[in-house]
Amino acid sequence: MSNYFNTLPLREQLNQLGVCEFMDISEFADGVEALKGKKLVIIGCGAQGLNQGLNLRDSGLDVSYTLRKEAIEGKRDSWKNATENNFKVGTYEELIPTADILINLTPDKQHTSVVNAVMPLMKKDATLSYSHGFNIVEEGMQIRKDITVIMVAPKCPGSEVRAEYVRGFGVPTLIAVHPENDPQGKGLAQAKAYAVGTGGHKAGVLLSSFVAEVKSDLMGEQTILCGLLQTGSILSFDKMIEKGIDAGYASKLVQYGVEVTTEALKQGGITAMMDRLSNPAKIKAFEISEEMKDIMRPLFQKHQDDIMSGEFSKTMMEDWANGDKNLLKWRAETGETAFEKTPAGDVKISEQEYFDNYTLMVAFIRAGVELAFETMVQAGIKPESAYYESLHEAPLIANTIARKKLFEMNRVISDTAEYGCYLFDQACKPLLADFMKKVDTDLVGKNFNEGKDGGVDNRKLIEVNEAIRTHQVEKVGAVLRQAMTAMKAIKTN
Amino acid sequence: MERVRVRPKMQRPKVHIENLNFKYQSNSVFDDLSWTIQKGEQWVLSGISGSGKTTLAKAITGLADYAGKIEINFDNEIQLPAKVSLVESWYQFKNVEGVANFYYQQRYTSQQAKETLTVKAELAHYGKENHLAFADVEPILNALGFAGLKNSQLIELSSGEHKKLQLVKALWLKPQLLIIDQPYTGLDVKSRESLNALLNDVCAEGVSLIIISNDEELPICINRFAKITGGKLEEISALEKAFTNSNYELGEIPEFLKQAPIYSSGLIAKMVDVNISYGEKEVLKNINWEVRAGERWLLQGPNGSGKSTLLSLINGDHPQSYANELYLFGNKRGSGESIWDIKQHIGLISPEFHWYFDANSTVLESVASGLYDSVGLFKTLPYSKKAQVDELINFFGLTENNNDLLNTLPLGKQRLVLLARTIIKNPELLVLDEPCQGLDNQQTAYFNQLIDKVCSNGMTVIYVGHFESQLPSCLEKRMVLENGEVKEISEIKNKNLTLKETIKDFELTI
Ligand SMILES: NC(=O)c1ccc[n+]([C@@H]2O[C@H](COP(=O)([O-])OP(=O)(O)OC[C@H]3O[C@@H](n4cnc5c(N)ncnc54)[C@H](OP(=O)(O)O)[C@@H]3O)[C@@H](O)[C@H]2O)c1
Ligand SMILES: [Mg+2]
Repeated sequence: MSNYFNTLPLREQLNQLGVCEFMDISEFADGVEALKGKKLVIIGCGAQGLNQGLNLRDSGLDVSYTLRKEAIEGKRDSWKNATENNFKVGTYEELIPTADILINLTPDKQHTSVVNAVMPLMKKDATLSYSHGFNIVEEGMQIRKDITVIMVAPKCPGSEVRAEYVRGFGVPTLIAVHPENDPQGKGLAQAKAYAVGTGGHKAGVLLSSFVAEVKSDLMGEQTILCGLLQTGSILSFDKMIEKGIDAGYASKLVQYGVEVTTEALKQGGITAMMDRLSNPAKIKAFEISEEMKDIMRPLFQKHQDDIMSGEFSKTMMEDWANGDKNLLKWRAETGETAFEKTPAGDVKISEQEYFDNYTLMVAFIRAGVELAFETMVQAGIKPESAYYESLHEAPLIANTIARKKLFEMNRVISDTAEYGCYLFDQACKPLLADFMKKVDTDLVGKNFNEGKDGGVDNRKLIEVNEAIRTHQVEKVGAVLRQAMTAMKAIKTN
Repeated sequence: MERVRVRPKMQRPKVHIENLNFKYQSNSVFDDLSWTIQKGEQWVLSGISGSGKTTLAKAITGLADYAGKIEINFDNEIQLPAKVSLVESWYQFKNVEGVANFYYQQRYTSQQAKETLTVKAELAHYGKENHLAFADVEPILNALGFAGLKNSQLIELSSGEHKKLQLVKALWLKPQLLIIDQPYTGLDVKSRESLNALLNDVCAEGVSLIIISNDEELPICINRFAKITGGKLEEISALEKAFTNSNYELGEIPEFLKQAPIYSSGLIAKMVDVNISYGEKEVLKNINWEVRAGERWLLQGPNGSGKSTLLSLINGDHPQSYANELYLFGNKRGSGESIWDIKQHIGLISPEFHWYFDANSTVLESVASGLYDSVGLFKTLPYSKKAQVDELINFFGLTENNNDLLNTLPLGKQRLVLLARTIIKNPELLVLDEPCQGLDNQQTAYFNQLIDKVCSNGMTVIYVGHFESQLPSCLEKRMVLENGEVKEISEIKNKNLTLKETIKDFELTI
């Protein structure tokens, strides 16, 4: 098997990278009709598997689960999740031959072996569905020609997929049909019906391609979403300790700070986040984020290049073959950082204080979101896709940090994201070393406005506001957010 | 704001409040309010919904900002912690690290990844934080019927059980000043009596008590009464009847509510040997029940007896309904209908629903969302519907709050908004799970009259209530659950009884 993307001629590469259409709600008027009465069988009952299955069943569809033998015999959690919620569970041999739509929700790393095991059991003209395109695009998995291959990828963790559905809403979702596997041309209708079944159509569906989804998803997760949030959190915490800020306070500020700042991002983009700062702090945050963008641009570009060329997935797969040696080593190192080991102190930090005392994080987030977005768009990814994979997901990941720090973030995200995150973090920390030497507690740990008179130069402020507001990520974001203004705030305290 | 906490000299009052002022938006809630509480005094504070009782409690506890002086003098001669604790009437529990959205995902779903603590772990944590001996909490747990729940996940507790857990903690801690906001809402009769006995005990040990309640059955240790009116505190000799009785006139109901609901089937719900369990824990056992179009049911049972779970089956919320024999609105459950197909027939309210409703919605959005059965409004409202929503909001006297966010309103008003939401569709079935929690007696009487009125047009009702003073008189059938089993199904013969009386009436029969 070889990397699918690399087998394509340039014209076709650009073609597939550029598939990106925000679908109007009227396109979903047929509801779940295309899947009504069909047998949906889900492989794997983890975060996505259970929650997508609950939604699809509650939308009136026929859902059952097939699990590997060991999971059934050992009554593993996946078996319990499915049976205790009264789903039918069976082995591959029992259920796959009955499936009209087989939904693969196992970890990406397992896809090649899982798909090889299930494909011979699939009935003729059935459909195989994914929630991420890695296996098709990066591993170049070849699917039997009679089978239709679709993707329905919710842009949220499984728990949110369920929570938003039950509220009567949904989460933004990417759908795609693999051009090599759409023999009857039914793929799109099925993917749309599936998105209705999970509630995604209410929050905005982007018609994408396997290629565009994978290349943008990988880029977003390893740079701004996980990588930079990890780097920024660790550097900020270490700086505060170095400058004598109370460790408990520092730990709490970092743990919850990303969540509070990105909540503003979710509501009104970079503009809203920056507007939470005082004028002098906003100008300062703008200036240092510009500086960070310059420092980190080559690193972001390298990540994008390696993703495009397949170099990233090749090295990662080598690590898989090597028993995850690097992944496990980096995971252990993350567990040993001072930030991870210092419990959040029992101090009250008001919502505004998270902005005022953590201007550095606001700058990190602006720099990371804009850089990731710009780099993706330059590489041929459409702005809408780039938005979902950068700004949109940042609050969701930040929320996992607020729950149980970086450990929790790395537990919840996919193996691919975790690997990429460490890779980025390893390279980014040394890059920012000089920059961090200049950072003092006014940017992290103490109120930036303390002891300053609050005055700013009019022209400077106008210029900064203009630069923030007219960035392309803000323009695209305003349109896409309109479709999901109703999503519930995922705030803690 | 001035907070004084000084060591006592003889004769210092326990609490001394002077010229307290508090504004909400531009309205004065307190206008130079003063109050002195002497040692040995146990107070009940009453007042209509929105009069500022909860705000005053928060100010005394230090949880709200105010202008004026609040002095609290702890007594260092007694052993009890020099603390003020407030048991809020509102309690939103969170999962391990504090996210509430997961409620929607997990309330009824069985999931191996446990996101909340067990009751025992929660108590152990609390005990450690406050240096309390675990042995001391056991008798409290037993008295409130909580001992069997020690291994339950917090998310599995019913609303009444959550309330009890908060009370358990306060009674265990025994702070020198204990304020309880609406201690009885959501508690069953037996728990209520036990609670009063426990409160008497802690008072005898030196705890000063402030209870916020309009209820009549209070612990005997209570010896002073006050009410808040016009932003001031006024001492009264006993709970005034004004709070316990009222004859508020119901206005002309909106035209759309006068239409008889259009029934899709004569059979609203039918359950045949329904069983629900989480692992070993059986929540419902062999339930057989039929609700026909136009019937008005009262559903009763102690805290944790399975009432809310039963209702979740009817509302399409429970994943285990797919494995049970259940018919809703004429269709067998799991025959291709979506949960939205089911909900469209139902208007629902419950304490849990209120807890987790999106409090960042405006009043208008909240009421309108009932048209689509969503938590928060995700659609633009068509003009014809907008007029209907406006009419109903006006009928509930909420027009001036139209654009207020829910979380800026007092609980009683929030509740009214969600009650309006239940009837905005003029649904076939109204599911009212403790609908009047948090309402004062006037509001309760008003809402009950409304229910009676809409029932007269043939609406089906299932009403769950513990202890509100008054029930709608339209209820005609009763089902009682106990430990997840049907204990009794009967006709309610004596209409116009208060709920308290129906319960007593029922207790005589068993
Ligand atoms: N997590 C997210 O936020 C997210 C978002 C969008 C898309 N996705 C995509 O959704 C898919 C599933 O991810 P997830 O996070 O839901 O995974 P997960 O929680 O790790 O669950 C994986 C499930 O697959 C089963 N499984 C593991 N190895 C297997 C094997 N070799 N053969 C058969 N079954 C196996 C596991 O059960 P047993 O081990 O008990 O067999 C488990 O039930 C991935 O493609 C991912 O990229 C994830
Ligand atoms: Mg992703």
